[in-house]
Amino acid sequence: MSRPCAIVGSGLAGFCAYATLRKGGLEPAEIAVFGTDPDPAAVWRVRSAAIRQQRMRSESDGHCAPSSFPGLAVRAALRRRSPAPLLRSVCDRYHPTVGEFLEHVDELRAATGWEESVQVVRVNRVRAVDGGFEVGGHGTFPHVLLATGHPGLAWPEGLAADPRAVHAYEPHDFAETVEIVGAGMAAATEWLNALAAGASVVSVRRREPERRPLNLPRELFSRRGLAGFHRLATAERIEFLRRFGAPSYPAGREWDEPVEQARHRGRFRVAAELNGAPQVVCATGFKRGFRHDPLLARLVAEHGLEVAGDWIVLTADSTVESLTDRERTLALAGVPAQWAFPAADTLVGAKYAARRFLRRVNAWRTR
Amino acid sequence: MAYTLRGRIESRIAAALAPLVAGCILALVLQAWWPVELAGLMLGVGLLFDAAYHRLVPYQPGWAALPLGLLELGAIMGLARVLDVGAPLWAALAFYAGSWLLAQTLGHAVFPLARLSYGEDGGELGRAGGGLAAGALAVLAAAGGIAWATQPPVVHLAAGVHEGPLVLDHSQELVGVPGTVVRGGIVVTADDVTIRDVTVIGGEHGIQVESAERVLLERVSVLDATLDGINVRRSQVTIRDCSISMLGREFGQGIDISFTADLEPSVIENCQLAGGQEGIFLGSVHAMARDNHVRATTLRGITVTEMSTASVEENTVEDSLGIGIYCSDYSMCDISENSVTGIRPDHESSDSMREGYGIVSHYWAHAEVADNEVSRSPHVWGEFSDAYIIFE
Repeated sequence: MSRPCAIVGSGLAGFCAYATLRKGGLEPAEIAVFGTDPDPAAVWRVRSAAIRQQRMRSESDGHCAPSSFPGLAVRAALRRRSPAPLLRSVCDRYHPTVGEFLEHVDELRAATGWEESVQVVRVNRVRAVDGGFEVGGHGTFPHVLLATGHPGLAWPEGLAADPRAVHAYEPHDFAETVEIVGAGMAAATEWLNALAAGASVVSVRRREPERRPLNLPRELFSRRGLAGFHRLATAERIEFLRRFGAPSYPAGREWDEPVEQARHRGRFRVAAELNGAPQVVCATGFKRGFRHDPLLARLVAEHGLEVAGDWIVLTADSTVESLTDRERTLALAGVPAQWAFPAADTLVGAKYAARRFLRRVNAWRTR
Repeated sequence: MAYTLRGRIESRIAAALAPLVAGCILALVLQAWWPVELAGLMLGVGLLFDAAYHRLVPYQPGWAALPLGLLELGAIMGLARVLDVGAPLWAALAFYAGSWLLAQTLGHAVFPLARLSYGEDGGELGRAGGGLAAGALAVLAAAGGIAWATQPPVVHLAAGVHEGPLVLDHSQELVGVPGTVVRGGIVVTADDVTIRDVTVIGGEHGIQVESAERVLLERVSVLDATLDGINVRRSQVTIRDCSISMLGREFGQGIDISFTADLEPSVIENCQLAGGQEGIFLGSVHAMARDNHVRATTLRGITVTEMSTASVEENTVEDSLGIGIYCSDYSMCDISENSVTGIRPDHESSDSMREGYGIVSHYWAHAEVADNEVSRSPHVWGEFSDAYIIFE
């Protein structure tokens, strides 16, 4: 056993964890990464391209580097030789472009030696064994972080097999009239995309979307808000996660004006049900819950892990308590880690789990 | 960032450590305590405000550092004035601005680099936070201990008459009570001397200060000195709330400060001066005379001369002979908001300047005057011998 750490998942959450471990002093040879693509942004790239995303919802610290400084605003200011990104950042108005973000990922990928650690294999099973965890027949590791990502696209009932339907996160064009199901960030982006393409849009939704700058209120990204969240009883925490899991997108003229103009011209309206349009775009996000992820579902079943609703119960440091002690660590990062950090599906959330994972690894190494 | 209370306090203390150390170094260099006092005041005010911010500002965007910094600056400067921290204004502003910039750099760049989870920990610094707090407290305690140990001794003079002249040749505070009288004068030859609540009767000079700096004369009274009430040479003094009577004395001045132009400015404020040739005489000095009441002098009320640079403001000069306020001999005078009244012409003099002028600029002097009130005097102002007055 030469490698102390394994990361299962080669997406952005796994990549954040890898960069954090490298910053913490681990060499590439000490970290094994198992995933389906050597490009950590491969899946994200396809999805953001599908919704024609231009800018990130995240702000300057929405990046994969282990420390929040220098953020993307600092990099942009240096590159453009302009203080404007910094000024926008201090006002919480800076959102990097998708191009800037992907460029940063490529740079960090080269700088961290990611290629030396990543192995393109699909891991279907992780189980606790003496000395750590056996990872899909690829070895035993004392410290394992599972960053398996979203378990697949969510389709509205009855539409998965409908030939008119396309998911927002899959490549598509727009028909003359399009019904867009959903009320979150992807749906709002698709309204503007379809309108820009000349289509008439019907927004199919059952409730008005929340408007907030980030996925969650800002306090919940730090210990100030998390302390209260971690004190919630199980039922309250489930309710909390469901409430804040509801769709939202940012407020702002750039979102509202095109929609209002189209509404006045009769090209945008809201409906509660589908009504036979030639194309239905399902901006309904991803499946939710560990049961949709075969690896996690199997892990829970084989080890009898505690669960609550759709979530695996984790400690505040994003680890599975029953499988974590001084000698070994099993941690979750990314969307399955919401029990520890409600915004776990963001880049900041991925680093939250990664930093705590690093602390455990370092405590083990220096003992 | 959404700070926790502990995060605010730890970040505040950590950012205050460097200014505290810098304050100690500056104090050594300047031989003054104000940098340490200011750094300590900044930390104290900051911690108090942090307690309020915690409730009022659950999430603090980056831009808020500017208005909150200005708010704290106002509170610090106000408290510095109330607590009599002797910091020069621009130096204090520069010290605060430097400390604020350092705190921003630490909070946005250095702390997040040093502690990866700084942001999500709400500004908490972990074990380092405790160490830095201990370090800051140690610096403050050490500075406080040194300040305490090096405080000049306080000498209390009881009520009653003490025979002089008293010679103060080492740093000390000489403090009297109502009824404390020193007969025969006091001579100060050491730095960092304070004389407070003492009446001096007689002596060639009531109080003489010779080659000393940071001398404070507060609530002193002088009567019947032969020459000057207070005579200052090659020294830096602050004279506050004094009372000097030279009535009946043909020569001598109420306060005479000379040959201090290369030193920190001297200040005379809120003094009552009666009689003598001149109430206040400033020769070759850098000084300010403010809010004093000068009356019944036989030569001039207030004189600034011999290449001095001085502000003369908010004083009252009345019933003086010849000239009220006099700026002469290449001096630069800022004369504003004074009240000059009842200046009488000196009929025994053939000098045309002495025909009863409220304000005179003489011999290449340069006087800037503004908002003065001259009344019951033959002439409001006059320029003589290539001097000039600029009215603002």
